[in-house]
Amino acid sequence: MSSTLDHRALLTHEIGSLDKPAWRVKAYAGQPLSDRDLEEARSWGERLQVPNYDQLIDLLRHAPFSKEQKTDLQRWSSLYALKLEEGAGLDVVYDGEQQRTEMYDWAVSHSNGFERRGSVRAFDNKYYTKAAVVAPISLKAPFHNAEFSYLVSVAGAELKIPVTGAYTIADWSFDERYDLDTDLREPAADRRRKHKAARRDFVLEIARSLIRPNLMALIGLGARWIQVDEPGASTEPDELDIFVDSFNASVEDLNAMFSTHLCFSDYNLFFPAIERMSQCRQFAVGFANYDSRELGTSDAQRPGYQVIKKFRDLPYKPALGLGVLDIHSDFIESPELVRDRVLYAVKVFDDPARIHVTPDCGLRTRSWEVAFKKLRNMTAGVALARRELGLPDPPA
Amino acid sequence: MASTRGLDRGRVTADAVEAAFAEDLAAFVRVQQQARLDVFSDGLLRWQDIFRPLMEAVGPIKPESLVRWFDTNTFFREPDLSGTLPGVDRADGLLPDASVPRPRVATLPSPYMFSRAARTDRDRNHLMVDLAGKVLRPVIDAAIAAGCQLVHLEEPWLGYFGIESKDWAPLHEALELLHRDLRATLAFHIYFGDAGPHVDQLRRLPVDAIGVDLVETDVNELGSGWDKGLVAGVIDGRSSMLESVENTVEVARHLADTVRPRNLYLSSNCELAFLPTVVAERKVQRLGEAARKVKQLVSV
Repeated sequence: MSSTLDHRALLTHEIGSLDKPAWRVKAYAGQPLSDRDLEEARSWGERLQVPNYDQLIDLLRHAPFSKEQKTDLQRWSSLYALKLEEGAGLDVVYDGEQQRTEMYDWAVSHSNGFERRGSVRAFDNKYYTKAAVVAPISLKAPFHNAEFSYLVSVAGAELKIPVTGAYTIADWSFDERYDLDTDLREPAADRRRKHKAARRDFVLEIARSLIRPNLMALIGLGARWIQVDEPGASTEPDELDIFVDSFNASVEDLNAMFSTHLCFSDYNLFFPAIERMSQCRQFAVGFANYDSRELGTSDAQRPGYQVIKKFRDLPYKPALGLGVLDIHSDFIESPELVRDRVLYAVKVFDDPARIHVTPDCGLRTRSWEVAFKKLRNMTAGVALARRELGLPDPPA
Repeated sequence: MASTRGLDRGRVTADAVEAAFAEDLAAFVRVQQQARLDVFSDGLLRWQDIFRPLMEAVGPIKPESLVRWFDTNTFFREPDLSGTLPGVDRADGLLPDASVPRPRVATLPSPYMFSRAARTDRDRNHLMVDLAGKVLRPVIDAAIAAGCQLVHLEEPWLGYFGIESKDWAPLHEALELLHRDLRATLAFHIYFGDAGPHVDQLRRLPVDAIGVDLVETDVNELGSGWDKGLVAGVIDGRSSMLESVENTVEVARHLADTVRPRNLYLSSNCELAFLPTVVAERKVQRLGEAARKVKQLVSV
């Protein structure tokens, strides 16, 4: 796997999440479905050529739903998302995390040692639920096995499993276990030292007791590419060593292709810390959010991509998952804009095999209509770049 | 939360969102009253980030890029302040709701932080002074007319990134524009960083009180004999652990004895937006309880 996928030129994939369709959300929550919801299920089923989608429509007409039927509905939602990604022409796909509540909540809900505390704002009107660690951490049961087993049975394209990473889980949690004795009269330097030691213990316990056993379970089921999602990785610049150690502790000596996803940070902060992440075969990083919308492949025309030189120079030569779609905006990047972002990166790396093409992050904050248009333009833009570079079409 | 999210997805009406806002605000006011706080806030419940309503008042440029809010998992839309800065001539949506009891606090971004967090093609120190005169001062005047007695300027940039020595003079100038003839208390609150290295300069600024983040700052570096108020950030707005009232009282006593500020205000170290509502409410209760005990001790 690693000898093929991580060096397949201009390979395309999504990062993780997609919005959940209204029919899935309402049906799962026991709310009444409208004609509009049913039409949404029908029209996307038809458009994406989802096999037997009429069975879903029939199921949706028979509320209330049993627990088994709700599981079926989640799988339908997975299948729809998978077909959306395949329909957009992506080389590597997953299911938009349709069976999970949310990347953080899903992980802590399936773990021992955490208690929910409530929701906080991420940005705009988007919120996430935070938990506190209160007891020793362990895995209740591997929590991606069921979705992965299902997707293996229905996917036509290669699969990449997004798994929330240890550092991000710790960073998004409150600590009510490791760093407890705070007296503001103590010297601040002493308090900072104790805090960092406590953070290290917290993060590494998640890596060893939660993430690693989960990855091992997926590999046992045949998983070949696992993406460790770390959107929180650079939140605390002085803790990048802890992030790197947690990635290494999670994947060390496991036999699969591992990558990581980073987003919405000053990526300069990651260097030199990530020079020690030699088992990371690809960094999927969001850049489009910082870039101009002008066409062109000069440094001045691609301000959002200036930092990619640092990824190029990593000693273990990972691929770069180049974020080319701004996921916080409904702006639809044209194929030509995607092409130029890709051509710029290829020029900097001087090696198309080290460039993969992705959105900046999961597309769950966009409607399916917008997400589908963006992804289709992304693959169209990659096709233009291939032509420009004289690369053959990717294997079917 | 559910209402605003539902509104974005077309699943909830604007009226339902308004009703939810009113309910949340009433609950937050009740918590502050029960905690017997001295000054009341609207919690900026309608503000999606600290700049957004100000940018809407400034003009039609819609901020796009999403930028991480320091070392948190919260993001703000980067204000675009390139070119000539228009003034603010209306303060709709910028003032505490009429249902918030008086005296009220108006919370605004400090001109230094605002000028540094924005995207701009201008000299940032010129922009800072311009923001103070054309944007912040008109809003502050409107806030005071609407019953605000405390103006609280949020300044995490200085705490987190620091400040170059050449920037103190323009900051002084910008704050002077805000402080001149002001009929309210002006507080300049440094957080997300250690205020210790800046104490001497901070004490010279033309404001009535300096706020410090005591989670990040050593109490022993604050000096003594302040001729200003001290807003002591004693409640950790980023931790779900509830502070001990007794320990908070001891810290306050220590500050009163050593720093000897003109006035001592007890506060959180930063905004409480990083906490779930139920945790934030408990912290407000603890803050009120600690403040009451400190007042009793002082009055003995």
